[in-house]
Amino acid sequence: MRLSTRKLLDKSFTFCAVMAVVVLTAFLIFVLAPIFVRGCGAYVFRGTVEYRRMMLDQFGRGDEVALAREIALAQTARQPVYSAVTAFEAELKQMPAARRREMRPLFKVVREGLELLLGPEPGKPLPTLPRMLYGQTRWDGARRHLKHVLYEVQWDYSDDDDGVRVLAPRKPFFAGTALEPIFDLLENDLDRMLNPRLTFYGRFLTDKSVDAHFFGGIGPEVMGTIYLALTAMLIAVPLGVVAAIYFQEYAEGGAVMTFLRSCVNTLAGVPSIVFGLFGLAFFINTIKVSQGKSVLAGALTLALLVLPTVIRASEEAIAAVPRAYKEGALALGAGQWRTVLTIILPAALPGILTGVVISMGRAAGETAPIIFTAAVSVGKLSRPLKMLFRDTPALSWNLYNICTEHEAVDRIRHVQYGMALTLVVLVLALNLVAILIRARVSKRLKG
Amino acid sequence: MKKSILTAGLIIGSLTVNAEQKMVMDGSTTVGPIAKAFAEYYMRENPGVNISVSESGSGNGAKSLLNGNCDIANLSRDLKDSEQQAMKDKGVNPVKHVVAFDALPVIVHPSNRVKGLTIGQVRDIYSGKITNWKEVGGSDRKIVVVSRETNSGTFETFSELVMGKDARISSKTEYAGSNGAVRQRVQMTKGAIGYAGLGFVDRSVKALEINGVMPCVQCVLDKTYPLARELFMFTDGEPRKGSLAARFLALINTEKGCEIVEEIGYVPVNAAMRK
Repeated sequence: MRLSTRKLLDKSFTFCAVMAVVVLTAFLIFVLAPIFVRGCGAYVFRGTVEYRRMMLDQFGRGDEVALAREIALAQTARQPVYSAVTAFEAELKQMPAARRREMRPLFKVVREGLELLLGPEPGKPLPTLPRMLYGQTRWDGARRHLKHVLYEVQWDYSDDDDGVRVLAPRKPFFAGTALEPIFDLLENDLDRMLNPRLTFYGRFLTDKSVDAHFFGGIGPEVMGTIYLALTAMLIAVPLGVVAAIYFQEYAEGGAVMTFLRSCVNTLAGVPSIVFGLFGLAFFINTIKVSQGKSVLAGALTLALLVLPTVIRASEEAIAAVPRAYKEGALALGAGQWRTVLTIILPAALPGILTGVVISMGRAAGETAPIIFTAAVSVGKLSRPLKMLFRDTPALSWNLYNICTEHEAVDRIRHVQYGMALTLVVLVLALNLVAILIRARVSKRLKG
Repeated sequence: MKKSILTAGLIIGSLTVNAEQKMVMDGSTTVGPIAKAFAEYYMRENPGVNISVSESGSGNGAKSLLNGNCDIANLSRDLKDSEQQAMKDKGVNPVKHVVAFDALPVIVHPSNRVKGLTIGQVRDIYSGKITNWKEVGGSDRKIVVVSRETNSGTFETFSELVMGKDARISSKTEYAGSNGAVRQRVQMTKGAIGYAGLGFVDRSVKALEINGVMPCVQCVLDKTYPLARELFMFTDGEPRKGSLAARFLALINTEKGCEIVEEIGYVPVNAAMRK
């Protein structure tokens, strides 16, 4: 091959490799950046007076006196709107029947919109569900919702084709009535009515949810995930490490060992949903580790799932321990058991830990194994030992749940992103720990 | 060793379960919002109680009750004969409690010019006889048929009320795992048609008139809307008086319980009386 051709080939390969890395990085940024940016919105946002009212009612947080003053101020700003509503109600009664019939449904929509925006009208009986007790707690939500109050979405079907979306201002519908001024009032004065303020809600991470994630945080989900992952590792690590020691140090070669090894490898390739179904059929319905779903059943299932990873990582770590260590110990008269326990295991420990931490990240992020064995949409936390026999919410499953099954998916976007961010950060942090351990190991082995 | 841990665990488990009041609910995603709201309301009023709710579908709820894995199974349909037989064989005695009335709005993307369909047309769309909206007065667009998966009670109700005994749902149908997923699919897809519980339908999709009637509270009560149904909670045997399940289920008929059901968007059981 001519030199120039070889150089060309070499350059084109370098180019391909660089491109691959660039594409990968771009993809990573493309996926992670929105999660980070929007996920932070669950922790840092502009909270309205409704948010502070909710926090005081539901969590007993905040300064009562200052809040009372703030509510009074907001109330003063809102008063013209409510006066207009009352005036319009009186006007409605005076209207001719035909016009009244026409106006009433329009008025109803505005009124419901107002309740969603500012909370229940003063002096009216309070609703039962917390989600209806407060107006928009977040300024971004309030701005979005304001549009629903100011404009009506209509669909124009006059063409032969699909309908076209038209935003029709509501104000002209009410022209000349007492209700007309509220639209300008809302548009111009909304910040005085809601008083948005930069809010840092760090306790999103630990708070319980209020009314199916409409308000509050993701505490039970975070704790559930941690319980599940930790318990799974408590089960998987002793089993996995012992199995690895056996494979590496005790087992003789032969058909049985080859078979066992391929079994472990096959276990690593089994889809996680199969583990989930197995967990339900075996742990819950057959040996009944608990009555119904529980952290224990979920953790046992997750332990099975990560077992091959733990075994393989431990095997590799043990195999990497220099042979001279073992021979030295044996030569000094230590038995095999003692050699393994005092020489090989300590030397292999960092490698084993890396595998363990990575598996823990996997266990924390898995959804399918816990659907049938541990996860619920609403649950309460209690003490760790009790938790073992309780079902629990968990980040991965509840993220799916509130993105698809929840009755108001669009109203809780910030919780969904916040949950995704928390899960990603949790797994990233675990992987980072693994990388740090590995870095220390290679340094030690070199030195 | 492992076995002894498990046995020890079982003992601790049974002790703790008895010490604190605990109740597990599983089943329908349609009844889910009611169950979740009831559970939170009840736990707020009675802090010592722990109620958990899963939403895995009516079919799984029934299986859960059969296997003794839950105390209350939420179903958006009645038990099937096969399920009742299986429960009888296992010594489970299902007792049903009506929690709310519901309708199944048939929903389309709001850009769709079609205002209403007859039951026959809906059946033909789902069985694959009608494949384009222009056949039912819409624009020239292929129909994307979205259904709930076969484990769902909503699916069963829909099959029974719309498809009847003869028509089969076409193999081109898309299946979605929950009411919320159906609504999201329809709200994002021009030309899509789907169905979901009343509590899940908002202004982002357009509900169709069926046989000339819009789904609403009134037409659910007087049964003029053809796709109406009851939502259930099942227990194994009539709950003992004073037990947690009994006290919880009593919530259904109270003023507060009915308010919750109504605020979520379903028709409460006392609505008929109020009328």
